This record gives sequence, C-alpha cells and structure tokens, in this order.
Amino acid sequence: MASFTPYTYIQCPCFDLSNQTRHSDGSPSPTSQDLPEDDDEDHAFDPRSPRSNYSLYPLEYLLYCVDCHQIRCPRCVSEELVTIYCPSCLFEVGSSSVKTEGNRCTRSCFQCPVCIGPLAVQSLESAPEASLLSADNASASGPTGPWALTCSYCNWSSSEVGVKFDKPQGIFAQLSKLRNGSSNTGADVPLTSAGDVSPTKRDANVPEPESTRARFSALRTFYQSQLANSSTGSSMGGGMGDYGFSSPAALTRIMSIYSGSTSKPKNKATIMREADVPNEGFRTSNLDESEAISKLRAEGYDGTVTMEQAASQVEEGAHFADELWPVASLLRTKRAKRCPACRHILSKPEAKVSNTRWRIRLVAGNHIPSVTIKPLPNPGAPPPSALAPLKPTQYLLTFKNPMFDSIKVTLATPATTPGRFSSKVTILCPQFTVGANSDDYDLNEVLKAEDRDQRDRRREDDGSHQVEAGKVFERGRNWVSIVVEVIPASLQIQPTPSILQKAGEPEPDLAPLREDEDILEIPMFVRLEWESEPSQDQVGVASSGKEKDAKEKRELAYWSVLGIGRISQE
Amino acid sequence: MASDPDARPTLAHRSVSNIRAGGQSSARDSTSGAPHTPLRPLSTSAFGSPSSARAEEEIIVIELGCRKLRVGFAGDSTPKRIVAFDSEHDKRAGDYRAWEPGYEHDWRKRTAGKAWGSDHELCQLDVRGQDLGLVGDKLERVLRDTFTRYLLVDSKPRRISLVLPPAAPLPILSSTLSTLFRNFQIPTISLLSSPVMATFAAGVRSGLVVDIGWNETVVTAVYEFREVQTWRTVRAGKKLLEETQNFLVNALQGRTAESQAEEASTPKDIVSFEECEEVATRMLWCKKSEKTPKQSNTEQLPTLHEADESDTPDPAEDATPTPIRLSSCKPSKTIQVPFSQLAEPCETTFFETRYAPACFDDHELPLHLLIYRGLLQLPLDVRAMCMSRIIFSGGCSNIIGLRGRIFDEVSLLAQEKGWEPIQGKGADAYRNNPKLKRNPSRQTKEGSIPTISQTDPSGASGRGGLNVDEVEEHIRQEKNYRTPVQGVLRAIDTLGPWCGASMATQLKVPALAVIERDIWLQQGVNGASRPNEVDVQAQQKAQRQSMGTGGLIRGQGNQATNWTLGVWGAV
Repeated sequence: MASFTPYTYIQCPCFDLSNQTRHSDGSPSPTSQDLPEDDDEDHAFDPRSPRSNYSLYPLEYLLYCVDCHQIRCPRCVSEELVTIYCPSCLFEVGSSSVKTEGNRCTRSCFQCPVCIGPLAVQSLESAPEASLLSADNASASGPTGPWALTCSYCNWSSSEVGVKFDKPQGIFAQLSKLRNGSSNTGADVPLTSAGDVSPTKRDANVPEPESTRARFSALRTFYQSQLANSSTGSSMGGGMGDYGFSSPAALTRIMSIYSGSTSKPKNKATIMREADVPNEGFRTSNLDESEAISKLRAEGYDGTVTMEQAASQVEEGAHFADELWPVASLLRTKRAKRCPACRHILSKPEAKVSNTRWRIRLVAGNHIPSVTIKPLPNPGAPPPSALAPLKPTQYLLTFKNPMFDSIKVTLATPATTPGRFSSKVTILCPQFTVGANSDDYDLNEVLKAEDRDQRDRRREDDGSHQVEAGKVFERGRNWVSIVVEVIPASLQIQPTPSILQKAGEPEPDLAPLREDEDILEIPMFVRLEWESEPSQDQVGVASSGKEKDAKEKRELAYWSVLGIGRISQE
Repeated sequence: MASDPDARPTLAHRSVSNIRAGGQSSARDSTSGAPHTPLRPLSTSAFGSPSSARAEEEIIVIELGCRKLRVGFAGDSTPKRIVAFDSEHDKRAGDYRAWEPGYEHDWRKRTAGKAWGSDHELCQLDVRGQDLGLVGDKLERVLRDTFTRYLLVDSKPRRISLVLPPAAPLPILSSTLSTLFRNFQIPTISLLSSPVMATFAAGVRSGLVVDIGWNETVVTAVYEFREVQTWRTVRAGKKLLEETQNFLVNALQGRTAESQAEEASTPKDIVSFEECEEVATRMLWCKKSEKTPKQSNTEQLPTLHEADESDTPDPAEDATPTPIRLSSCKPSKTIQVPFSQLAEPCETTFFETRYAPACFDDHELPLHLLIYRGLLQLPLDVRAMCMSRIIFSGGCSNIIGLRGRIFDEVSLLAQEKGWEPIQGKGADAYRNNPKLKRNPSRQTKEGSIPTISQTDPSGASGRGGLNVDEVEEHIRQEKNYRTPVQGVLRAIDTLGPWCGASMATQLKVPALAVIERDIWLQQGVNGASRPNEVDVQAQQKAQRQSMGTGGLIRGQGNQATNWTLGVWGAV
C-alpha cells in the first residue's frame, strides 16, 4: 500500500450557508432518507458525504478577508479579470478582442490534436529546395511552398488531414478560412480560384454552407430576414419597438393608428416560412452512412478518435483520425479576487504576463493556525505504516499560530467518526492557548529559548511521556502540541446477527469497501478566539474618546478534517 | 446580426409570437386584433437611448444534460465548452492522486460500492433518494471551472438561457436554478425546451425530434414550435453501454452471446465504464435494415447501394477480426472482434427486431416502433408535418448508421401498415369486406396524407363547398408562402439544441419561462404558477422592455405578475 501522508482540510464556512438555504427554499425534494440528518442542526459534519468533497480545501487554497474576518474559499470570492493572455506565446489579448474572436489564441499557437504537444509551422518541401537554393544564391529566402503544422512529439502533421498553408504567417486566419469557408455567410461568395492566395483543402469548393458555423450564420440570416419581412410592412408591428420620434416610422405609425386597419393586410407577411433550401441553413440528413461504415472497417480502432482527443477539439463531431483539426491554444486569465461581502481585494496578481508575482494576496495561512499531524513517537517500536484496527493509537497535533496575537483554541470532535466504520476519537486537551507570533524577536533569544525547551523536554523524557488529559503535551513560542487518541474501527463488513437487529433500524450497508473508506478521517470543529488591534476605520473614532489600546475580541470557527491514516485491513 | 440598431424594431409583437419558443397560445389571437394604443411601459425605451448600447450584453447559454453540459455565449455557432461529467470532477481540491503511477489500474477500488457509471452523471432522472445539494455542487464546480477557463468571464452578473429537456425533474431544476442564482449572481434565467430548440436549429417550425440521449430516448412531436406530445423509451445510451460492456466481457472470456444469454448480468468490474464508453463511441456501428424501403426516396438510395456493394462485401457479413485494445481489464488484452459483431450492441439496444412488437413493455419499446406509434397517435395535420421533419439529436445519434437504420425501419413500418391506427385480423377483414365499405375514397393508403399542396387552389374554388377553406386561401396568397413539404418521410439535420438556443437568444426570441433572481430567492420553486395563470403579455412586455434598455429597468413591470416555470411545471 502506498505511503500515507496525514492531511488537514478546512471547510469554508460558506458551505453551511448554502446548505441551510438550499433546504429552506422548500424544494419538494423527495430525499427522504437524508432529510432527518440535515434537519438536525447539531449534527456533526461528515467528511465522508459526497457533498463535503466540494467544500473542503487545503489551507493553501484559502484566502482570508481581513475586514470581515472570514475565510474565503474559491467558491465565495468574486473575480475580476486583470489580464488575458496566451500561455503559449505570452501575448496579451484585450478583452474586446476576446469577445469578437473567441477564447483562443489568434496567432500561430496550436496544439497537436493527437497528443497535446505544441505544433510548429514547417515547410512541406523544405529539404530539397533549401539545398537547391543555397547552391544558386546564398541569400535565398529559405524554404517555400506549402506549409503545414507539425508536432515534434508525435510527428502528426496537418498535411495528414489535408490542411496546408500558403504562407507561414497568420495560421489562425488561414485555418478558420479553410474550416468555415471563405466568408461567414458561406454560400454567397465562391472561393477564389487564384491558387497562391486561397488555401486548399479537399472538397472545400462546396457551394452549400458545409461547416457548422456557416450553417449557423445562414440559418440566422434566414431567421432575421423572416423577422424583418414579417414586420417591416406591418404598420403596427414596425412601430412597436421603435419610439424614436424623429424617425419617419413614427409618423407612419401615428397615421396608421388613425387610419385604422385598411392598409394593413396588403403588404404584410403574416407567416414566417420554414427554411427549405441549403442556402438558408436547411439540410436534410444524409442517412446513407455506408461510406463511414466501410471507413470504420478499413481503419479499425486506431483510425478513430479517442474521447479525450474528441473532447479537446474546438468543434465536436470528430470521429475518424483524419477529422482532427489543430487546436488553437486556449487563452488564460489572471484574476483579481474580492471579498463578495465587503469588496475588499483578497488577491491581485501583477498585470504583466511574464510576472508571476502577486501585488496583494491575503492567504488564510497567515490568519488561522496550521495543523500538522504526526504519530506520537513511541520508543522502541517503529511507526506503523497503517493503523491497526481496535488498537488505541496516539497522534500529536501541532497548532502553529501565524498571528501576532495569542489565540485561544477550542476543539470539538464527535466521539465516533461518522460513516460506516466509526472509530473512537478522544482529544486529550480540547482547549488551550497558542502564543503570539512575533517578528521582532532576537535570534539569540529564540535559540536560547529553544535550548531551554529542549532541556525541558529531555527532562520530561526521563519520566516517560506526560500524556495526560487536559494538559498540553508540548508548547513552543507560537505553537502547541496536543495529543489525540484514536481507536480505529475494524473494517470487517459483517451483517449484524438477526437477534441483535432492532426492528426500526435500517438495513445495514453491506456494500464492499468504497474508495478511501479505510482512511481514518476525524471531523474537528475549531473555534478560535483572540483579541486584536481594532481595525483601521474604528481607530479614528476610538482615539478621539477612549484610550488607544482597547482591544477588540474576535472569533472564528470552522470545521476541519484531519486525515490520520489508513486502517489496515486484515 | 443586430449590430445595426434598426434591427430591434423588427422585434414586433406579431413576429415574436410567431417564433416564440415556449408553448404560449394566448398571445397569438390578441395580436391579430385591431390596432390599439400601445401600452405605457413600452415607451420607456425611447428615453433610454444611450443605454441601448448596453443591450449587447453577453448572454450565456447552457444546455443541461445528464452526462454533458454545453456552455457558451449566445450568438456563437458552437459551445465554448462541452463538459462530460466524470469522477475527476468530484474530488477534493488539492487531490492529486490522479497523477500517481498506477492510478488508472485502481479503478475497481474507486468505483466499488457505487452504481455502474454513477459518477459520470450529473443526476439520475429518478430523484428519489438523490442528494440534490450534491447535484448543485457538481454543477457549481463545473460551471465555475468553465467560466474561468473557457468563457474567460469575471463575476459580473450575466443573464443565462438554460436549455433543458421538458421532462427534467422539478427538483433537479430547482436545485439548478438555486445554484445558478446563489453562486453566480445571475439576474435572470430563461428556460428553453431542448426539442423546440432542436427544431429551431433545423430551420423548421415543426418536427419530430428523436433525442437519443443517455437515460432515455425521447420522441417529441413539435408543431409550430409547441411540443404536442412526447413518448419515451429506456433504449438509449445507458443501455447501449451496458450492452457494450456485456459484449466486451463476452469477447474477453471467449463466450458467445448465446451462452451468455442465460446469465442475468455480467460482473461490472471486468471492463471499466470509461473503456466501454470509449469503445462504444469509437467502434460501434449499426446495420442496415434487412429490407430496404422501396417507395420512399426512390431517386437516391438504391443506386448508391449497388455501387457500394460491388467491390466490398456487405459489412454485416464481414468477419474480419477488428483488434480492440482493452487496458482496464486484468491483464490488459487486445481482443479480436469480427467487424460484423460490432453492430450487435446497437441491434439489441435499439431494435431487437427478432421479438414481436407485443413483447415490449411500454417503457422499452424499440426506437422504430416508438417513432411509428408516436406518429400514428398524432392528429392528421400534425403527423403530416412531423413525418417529413424527423430530427435526430442526442449523443447516441452519432453512431454510424443508426439514424439511417431507424429511418428505414420507420419507413418500412409505414409501408407495411400504413397509417391505420387499428390493426389485426379483424380490422383487415373489415377493411377487405366490400360490403362494409362506406367511404370509397380512402385516403390513408400508402401513407399519403391529404395535403393542402395537392389541392389546386383554382380547382378547389371551382368545386366550391366543403373543400374550400377561406383561411387557407388567404394564407396561400401571402407572398411569403411556400407550400410546406408534408406527408413524406424525411429526416432533417439540426445544429443541435444548444445552437438553436444560442440563435434564439441572439435573435431575442422571448422565452416563456423567465425567472428573476430576486423572486426566486424569495419564493423558490413554490412561487411558480402554472403557465396558463401567467399574464403572458405583461411578462413579454416586461421582457422586451428589459431587453431594449439593457436590463436597466428590469423588474419594473414585474412586481405583481406571476411567473412560471413553463412546461417544467408548477407545484
């Protein structure tokens, strides 16, 4: 079994909010079986429930709003775009051009549709021509001829799917021309026959709108013309939305109100017809797919597109390997994050693309204590790789305070962990104070203090470990270790003997062990209390009247999950 | 499109009611009345002229399915992202175990104790015992990811058009709406029905939409953009994957389908769900029907057949082994499957022609029977329109040959049986008995429907009496009128419901069900009224008004009005 690293997850308090309101909105959810649990407000948080996966975050993922004194997870921040750029060429893109040209890089950044390697533009006839030219005159302009995108990793080349370019620049434009026909309206403009300007693709000369985009725009034009037709003539209808009094339409509208409906039925088309020619985006299905069947037979499993490849395509519908198009690389954003409640900026990256630093970043790790877990060193025995069932084991939890105020920590856990296999959990010292972190200490003093600590510890070691209820195990300047004792449950899945079964109880769940069900996870409620300097805006008020060092009481509470270890199955 | 501001005036009352997506019927008659003074709130748009520049806000179109989610901007021809739900989505943040070596081979442990493929679904249609909060959570995570990485939008309020099947369960819809309103600051959500949007995206106004989806295949008759009737069967993607799984397991263990038949089900831990799906999407194909329909499409099909079969053998009899690599089984293996057998899962899932039609329960009718019976139940006019506008949509319709096969089977059925609702020996005897024949001009033979196009207008007026319909006459004299194709079986391509919704939203076709954030947060799903209790006109006015002014004065006229969830129901 793979080694297990203990972990801590923190549940963002925003979860509770949505949970409660979700149920109070009175949706007629027939979820009778989990209602009783949810109605019970005191019910301990269950890290095993599938929903908790969506609200648990490692400490590193969380931000902290210093105004609201709240943890902010990725779900409860509001975001603002700072920069949009292409991760491949690091070119910055304006947000307006994203609107018009889409979310992909419009330069020459493409990804291989087979693997995900970057594609490079290469001349198809580079080798022979280059040598010829260099023999003729040294200042030749390099390779010419048709160009193709090639992947240097898997050797895929766009010429395999019949995509060749006439010039090595502006690949995106050439490619979209190839794919969507020469113009957006599709059918109207035939492809230019001048060989060196227009790129070539097999069967690109179809007069009908072939690609999805061309059909879409044809259909849209059709609907628009229908909308226009059926209402321009109509006096009332035309006037409905248009209230510009300067326009001549207003006059006709007013006139028509008084003249009544005499002129109405003549010039107005009341019906919208259906599209029925290909130019209008209409297409009957080609139901005879024997060609595709024989292709499937000829090319076999390897000739078809894997689902992953199909998913990475820009347009859906690729089935065979030769229907894969190069994928223009997706743009990426840098985002600033704000607290949704007070609009305070929580994190703001440097606007420049090449700079990875943050201007502002209020991480939760600077405001709430971190928890580390390790097994209590047991003299004589090496730390076991997995927890033995039904055998009491002690773990050391170390709380480290990052703040410059000392905090009072109160912990609570359910006596048994929720889930099918409930292990017993006891926190020996659920209430303690962690000293303040300070940045103005003298290094020598710290070293001295450490030295003293160690001496103390050694003295303690002599008289065995003081694992005592209600007492802190170890204490440092800004950290505290306490002991938690667990009795892991046995992972045997056995039906309860029928004698012991009570009448009202539900059937025990005899399903096999689910994923991660063998991990001993302890839900732990953490409550922090501390006194801090009053925040900035209150200082002005306070300083006028009372003394300045009046401290403000703060508290913060959240659920967290401690992953202790795997329970061994024997 | 609407880049020129003059396009907006075309958003007239009449035309809007013609192409409206929802199922309203009351607005139509009101439009044809005498002109009346336009109501007051409309004129506010006149004074908001500068704000009309803001009308071009981006509207996000989301198509919701059980397996997939399509998200993009209105006006785009393709969604920006298509998300397939999978087990990767419900991990905790910071869980990087997927990158550990050997992760793929551990799939048995991960899926143990869960229903087969359950973590690839957003929700089941059967909402009993389902955690609706979980549905919301899944949706929220996927949407947030999509908005950030693919749409590149910030958290500004944006309107959403939600495309969903009309049979989407109300609890799921409620959970979806709550999630969207609560987590994404959406001011309004309009609901659009996916079969109607599929018809819209095909360029027609009526049609028989065959949506071969994941949980079930839904056949919906849409007439003039209204859903007339639906029929459903469980023969769809899920069943196909189960069949594929059985098929692969049989091939792995070297059993034939016959010997396997007596066993109820194969163990689910031999081939993984992902691999079954992979094989199903890549390699499955569908046979042609044994008999090809003769009369319909005489001009195309037969000639093509001859040309094809001359050089290669019929794929249905082709026994060349096709290698398929399976890596999720232990040990990984390359199986050799005769090519013709790859059509078997489709055959058993969708057709099962070897059984008599009477064998099937109502919920598991084969597709062709379902479509035929559906058409049969429709009123004559509607059937005439729908049968020549059969639209296939849904993920499974991409299987090579499936659409053609369904179409052929339906045409065969129509040829054999005609459009006679009563069948059986008694009916035949009655029909063949000349004494009992009262009406000599039977019209139902050979599927020919008395179409309007067949009667010559001038001749009809000459004959006078019953055949002349004054309304029809008027309609036919319209300059825009073209005789609709009807009465022949015909299949039409659609761009898909998402594209339809994208287009409809861009063209500002009002949806019937528009839900405002404030009202939803106040009232929840219980506040919805039935569609017929809603003052459609008032609502439309409010909608148009909010559109014209970029949503600045939204909600002004809406305070007292009811709102509805449309076909998605009211409590």
